[in-house]
Amino acid sequence: MTKREMLLKKISTAQFAALDTQLFLDTHPGDTESVEKMRKYRNLAKPLIEEYEQKYGPLTKNGDDSNTWNWIKGPWPWESEEDC
Amino acid sequence: MFVYEKKLQYPVNIKTTNPKLAKIIITQYGGPDGELGASLRYLSQRFTMPMPELKGTLTDIGTEELNHLEMIGAIVYQLTKNLTEEQVKAAGFEDYFVDHTTGIYPQSAGGTPFTAAYLQSKGDPITDLHENMAAEQGL
Repeated sequence: MTKREMLLKKISTAQFAALDTQLFLDTHPGDTESVEKMRKYRNLAKPLIEEYEQKYGPLTKNGDDSNTWNWIKGPWPWESEEDC
Repeated sequence: MFVYEKKLQYPVNIKTTNPKLAKIIITQYGGPDGELGASLRYLSQRFTMPMPELKGTLTDIGTEELNHLEMIGAIVYQLTKNLTEEQVKAAGFEDYFVDHTTGIYPQSAGGTPFTAAYLQSKGDPITDLHENMAAEQGL
């Protein structure tokens, strides 16, 4: 795994925990303990996402658009660095 | 509306070409119990749900199924990368290959193109939720 892929996996791990908690909150909107957990996981992901976007480019189109090449340049999620 | 994140929900890193396996895995992409059917089912049913908890759950799970769809597409893409003619023949992959080469096409393992007949959306919440339980096969 490249450094980029390892960082992305860390992000996905934190986001997955946040997502699952958010799904639970869909049917248990009053559960304050779970809201805390979701915030915790999101706060774990946030600095990692900032680091990733700064080093490797945007993860969403809503990020920094000063360099429009960055959004379209590879590798795309189904590719690896070798493909580019 | 939908926002795209330029990553897979979980990484896919397949290094070995295997078209025989790709032919089977593709059913999870466009087959009767695949992710395309699941996402479309939930994202369609959510419109007529009577409660916010249901609208939220179906929207969010439907969205997650699209994440899964993407991962399966990536798997099939990587399994058929650098395919040689010999590999196509040895794997019995000719029938898919002649129509799609290594393109990702939503179909079942048996070759049936994806159809909305794989899902149902009846506008009644109890009916629709039963359809979902049947589709998820575990319940």
